Amino acid sequence: MRLPFALLAACVVFAQQKPPAEDPPELKALIDSDTAEVLRRINAVGPYEIPDLLLKKEQNYANTPADIEPYGAVKPYKEFFLLQMEYAGPGRTIPEPGPDLKTVKIGFIGPIMSTVSVATGGKSHEEALGVKMLQGARLAIEQANARGGYLRRKIPFEMVTVNDNGLWGASGNEIINMAYKDKVWAILGTIDGANSHIAIRVALKAEIVMLNTGDTDPTFIETNIPWVMRVIGDDRQQSYLLMDYIIRKMNYQRIGIIRSSNRYGRFGVREVMDTARRLQRPVLLEMAYKVGGEDYSLQLERLKAANLDCVIHWGDARESAIILNQMRKMGMNQPYFASDRTVSPEFTDLAGKNADGVMCGYPWNPDRQDPKLDEFRAAFRKRFGQEAETYAAHGYDGMNLLIWATQVAGLNRAKIRDILAYRSKPWPGVTGDIPFSAALDDLGEVFLARRENGAWKYHSREDLKVPRGFIPARDRVDRSTGTIVPKP
Amino acid sequence: MKLASTAILTVAAAGMLAAAGPPEKLPYVYTHWKQFTVADGLPNDHIFAVKVDGPRVWIGTENGLAMLDKRTGKIKTWTEKDGLPWRVVTGIAVHPKTGDVWLALFGGGLARLSGGRFDHWHQLNSGLVNDVVYAVAIENDNVWAATTAGASRYNTVTGEWTIFTEKNSPMEEIWNYGVNYADGKVHLAVWGSGILEYDIATGHWKEYLDPDKEMEIDLYRDDGIVHVITTGVSYIDGAMWVSTYFGASRYDGRHWRGYYNQDSGVPSDFMNNIKARSGNEAWFCTDKGLGAIMDFPTNTWVAYTRDPKKNTGIAVVSRDKQVLETVDTGLSVPHNFIISADVDGNDVWIGTSKGLAWGIGTDYYPGLRERGGAQ
Repeated sequence: MRLPFALLAACVVFAQQKPPAEDPPELKALIDSDTAEVLRRINAVGPYEIPDLLLKKEQNYANTPADIEPYGAVKPYKEFFLLQMEYAGPGRTIPEPGPDLKTVKIGFIGPIMSTVSVATGGKSHEEALGVKMLQGARLAIEQANARGGYLRRKIPFEMVTVNDNGLWGASGNEIINMAYKDKVWAILGTIDGANSHIAIRVALKAEIVMLNTGDTDPTFIETNIPWVMRVIGDDRQQSYLLMDYIIRKMNYQRIGIIRSSNRYGRFGVREVMDTARRLQRPVLLEMAYKVGGEDYSLQLERLKAANLDCVIHWGDARESAIILNQMRKMGMNQPYFASDRTVSPEFTDLAGKNADGVMCGYPWNPDRQDPKLDEFRAAFRKRFGQEAETYAAHGYDGMNLLIWATQVAGLNRAKIRDILAYRSKPWPGVTGDIPFSAALDDLGEVFLARRENGAWKYHSREDLKVPRGFIPARDRVDRSTGTIVPKP
Repeated sequence: MKLASTAILTVAAAGMLAAAGPPEKLPYVYTHWKQFTVADGLPNDHIFAVKVDGPRVWIGTENGLAMLDKRTGKIKTWTEKDGLPWRVVTGIAVHPKTGDVWLALFGGGLARLSGGRFDHWHQLNSGLVNDVVYAVAIENDNVWAATTAGASRYNTVTGEWTIFTEKNSPMEEIWNYGVNYADGKVHLAVWGSGILEYDIATGHWKEYLDPDKEMEIDLYRDDGIVHVITTGVSYIDGAMWVSTYFGASRYDGRHWRGYYNQDSGVPSDFMNNIKARSGNEAWFCTDKGLGAIMDFPTNTWVAYTRDPKKNTGIAVVSRDKQVLETVDTGLSVPHNFIISADVDGNDVWIGTSKGLAWGIGTDYYPGLRERGGAQ
């Protein structure tokens, strides 16, 4: 009587231990040897273990030159974001859903409908960007489905799309719904800095990846959340290049700022202000304006009186154009620099000839020669009848990265995070190579966009021979002795 | 006895207990632990909140509320099927006058369990500023809710709501994470805005920020809170204890002290929460274990971790970064990802991402003591 039971038990054990079905060749093609090793290790751990994986470790945060590091003469007691965060919870052992799953859901949150923004204190102004981001993400989903969808189960991906409504922190509620009700596997979004922060706080507790492709606020990533990553060059990187051009190359002495009175403007110019001060060219005047106005003469009169060498604008395209036009009308012919949002048809349509010579930081180079980029543009044009721009391209890259991670990791949020976080090589996006820093931020190259002869031209640091400050390979001051550690 | 038989003294490196010196004074180490999981009747193993109320222990999980009766060991649960307005319970407070249980619901607003019935407040039927509520606290007749878009205060007598945001308080950011009431002061831990202190008597706010104002560094350890991304606050004996995702801080009204893994016994700088027992003792919930500073003046810590391979654990006693002893505790915390904690007389309750732990401190003593062979 005991033998049959033993046999039965053995059969049950065998059935339970049956190796999983072999991955289809299309999936195998997505997994290089490094990723396979990450996969092997995260699949091997139990609920109480942390996988033994190499953490990214850096000597310098965000490639910041020594002369613009905060409190540059003093070694701080503690430097953050130099060692990659781990996820130490038990999420890797949560079993995958059963065979009745019909689609693999990935969340999208972005400003796609007119709404209210807490950041601007009124109507939001980011729908145009959000719709483009949505289109890029949607194209990536549709293409993945055309290639067979989620390859392990041969079921389609489904994008769960919600509007990023800034009113009363609604983005937090949307992440809750996606995480607990829609049961998405990862989320892409959003653009507004405040809403993005709200969203990632929820994602952290719900333990789900939040990948950002549109918020360039430097503080977004400076939160130590192991579930958060970004695939667009932020305002810190863009500011460094812009200020190197303004100060180290052009040697402008008298710098003024005009910016939107919202979170985008406030946080966007922080690195500009800090960099200028640390390079001993403190910004002489910073003027803020309320978004949506028509007349900025109040701010411009003061800027004009300051006798500036150049003016930097941080805000949306519409205001950028109006301000530039009013400046020129007032006889202010200083060079005009701006944040990346100025690089848009809305700006050039409004600014006309005044746009010539305007220079902006930019997170990528749309002129780069890359068949991937050409294919993406053609597909986008065919699908939407429009041209792809920055937010579309980054949305496309971000969603493709999430799709890749989901394909490779399987239906487990923690493993999807791991596959992204421990990726050893830059992601080959249509916007260029995207290398993650230890803080899982995009440390890819950023550019300067200059309006030349009625078109935007994108220049690298090397193109324009923009000097760069010394980036120390290790701590530059030994606190105990106060000596400068020589460059290795 | 367990301690005496299994303790591994690792003091050789420091020569702490040199033959000629006096016996080392050491903190109490919890070596008697009980664990509770789904197998014991919890609705879910992901324990976001734990709150002791006399013989009852209220447990907020990712999928329901539970109440453990310490006297009988029985667990009663409530899920959405039982009227709980939303499944994820991230904070719990018990009104000392009424015994009502107030629940912070992660995406579901605020709920009250009273007389076996749930009442529900949310963005659309009340002055609750947002439905993503991280924490709740009772202040006299008021209930404070820390939400992702500001703090709300509900007067349970008058029914009046007050909303606190950047418009009427010094919230640089409005992303509230923790709330605590003690000694006439409400403290809010605000992600990106440090700690805000509200004086009930005067209605005045005071803010505590990182003085260096930089996200990527802490210039000096003891000049203020170590970082503005705060996660919890606990005020007791005139001392304010603060947890962040970057380290911890303590402020006694005159002096600040910061704590990092690099200079103390805390297992990790990533801290989900904090619960202080006194001005000298506080428990930090980190992602890599439970860290308790047991004696503030000497910076003496005990860190509890579970063995990842088997259900036993160790407690590491350290002073600054120097390990004084390592104690095999047998059963310990059920998981090293610690999310919540509460102090219960001599005992402690610890919520983790895979179960609840009850640390029984029958012979607990505060501070340090010469232990001899056993504590």
